[in-house]
Amino acid sequence: MPGILIFSENNAIALELVTAGLGLKATMNHSLCAVALSEADATALAAAGADKVVLLTGQDWPEGCAQPIAELAARELAAVILIGGTARGKDIAAKVANELDAGLVTEAQTIEIAEDKLQTTRLKYGGLAVACEATVLPAVVTIAPRTFDKAVAGGGQGQITSLAATGGDPRVKVSELCPIERQGVDIAAAARIVCVGRGLAKKEDLTLAEDLAKALSAEIGCTRGIAEDYHWLPVERYIGISGQNIKAELYLSLGVSGQVQHVAGIRDAKVIVAVDTNEKAPIFAAADYGIVGDLYEVAPLITAALKK
Amino acid sequence: MSKILVCYKWVLDEQDIRVNAADASLDLSRAKYKISDYDKNAIEEAVLLQEGQGATVDAVTFGGDAVRQSLKDLLSRGPDKVYYIADPAADKADGYVTAGVLAVAARKTGPYDLIICGEGSADAYNQQVAPRLAASLGLPAITYVQSLKLEDGRVVATRKLGDCTEVVTVEGPAVVSVVPEINKPRIPSLKQVLAAAKKPSEEIKIADLGLSPRQLAAKTVTLTVKGFVMNRKNVLFKEPAQADNVAKLAAALAKEGVC
Repeated sequence: MPGILIFSENNAIALELVTAGLGLKATMNHSLCAVALSEADATALAAAGADKVVLLTGQDWPEGCAQPIAELAARELAAVILIGGTARGKDIAAKVANELDAGLVTEAQTIEIAEDKLQTTRLKYGGLAVACEATVLPAVVTIAPRTFDKAVAGGGQGQITSLAATGGDPRVKVSELCPIERQGVDIAAAARIVCVGRGLAKKEDLTLAEDLAKALSAEIGCTRGIAEDYHWLPVERYIGISGQNIKAELYLSLGVSGQVQHVAGIRDAKVIVAVDTNEKAPIFAAADYGIVGDLYEVAPLITAALKK
Repeated sequence: MSKILVCYKWVLDEQDIRVNAADASLDLSRAKYKISDYDKNAIEEAVLLQEGQGATVDAVTFGGDAVRQSLKDLLSRGPDKVYYIADPAADKADGYVTAGVLAVAARKTGPYDLIICGEGSADAYNQQVAPRLAASLGLPAITYVQSLKLEDGRVVATRKLGDCTEVVTVEGPAVVSVVPEINKPRIPSLKQVLAAAKKPSEEIKIADLGLSPRQLAAKTVTLTVKGFVMNRKNVLFKEPAQADNVAKLAAALAKEGVC
């Protein structure tokens, strides 16, 4: 019977895919097959509700699993292949889709079957818009981490089988695997955020934002430019579609113009306040409250007012 | 001497797209085209290799008729020659079609020692053309590359993968996709802009690529596109003295219960 196949090299994400897959299973009435890279992962996926788990062995580099996953999908007559939307996952998904001569939807936010096609929604134009798309089956989909809740172990008794992955590409050598050190701030979970943008003239002036953040008990966030071009703040503090999405009760920006990609990351904030010199800056259209002015004059005034 | 191909997409500038609040439709009328931001990093990386070790750099793009406007901008950024496939089919193309078209074009104009793409396009950001292109050409893909070297017929790249980095070495040609932090694209100098006018561009007709109707039919079709409508209060405090504006802001935040 044509089925649903799921895979992520990160098992926490694979368990989220089980939830997405079980949702599809309810309408498609197809079996749910998961691919795992370790025995522990395979057991967890079976317990969480996968009807069948294939334990793929003999391949150290997840990207090298694309070929065996594509072969498995073809053999299982998989109609929908869900892959966790990590960088590795997106690489694998594109290769699997190419091998199966199938379409690939990247970072789908919703998935359903409608009129024998896979119907999905995803962001477009840097988060400015949502596109609803239909893809012919078989279809490959990547799903970003935390899009679905993790499936919990519920006494599932899926069958686990083992499959040896063949070969790998002799032209490719992988070395120097190195974890990226995080500096421990979780902007996505912060209740209040003071965000700095290119309106800030130099790194030393961050103290202005830090003083305000202290008065507000807020964390400092920034735009992509401040983190990736100027390197004034670590990358995990930048807010936007390709950075952190925040859910703060208060977001206050200083010298942020409000590019589409940044605004996409602050949409879920409860109250948005903007300070910028340019009255026409798009940040004001996205804000609840705005002050048109020089952050060097306004920020210390806000700090003083809040201290009272 | 190495031969490099860089792929780019000519996209609408998303900063100029407006969302009509009434029906969430998109107003594209004021949006101009630009070279997709991520592809500027791909172009810059190819040109840095060209300058560093004397490679030749071809560029290729697949787009609608508007893509012809991109040629001068592209050439002023350093590539030696640009191939373009201008066809309305591009407007409905998905990653499957685009990678298929680029793969056949690259076979026609190559072979290449290295093919460089951006990590995704600024408009659709599907992030699939580079690995699909690699698979179609039977070459290894190295995606999400933050630093890149070409040495003695080997491609050596450091990948950035969210929580880790790794080094991938490929013997022989490869397709890579680069992340924005790999370099800072230069702003073309007047000299480069003038030199661009003398560089060759060549049109490749889609009909000459020998693709079947099936290969040109998108697997994914767009049903609707709707803009995000921000429902915000949009209160601007505009007193002449900033102290008054700050006092009003503090009062408003107190009323919201966030201060």
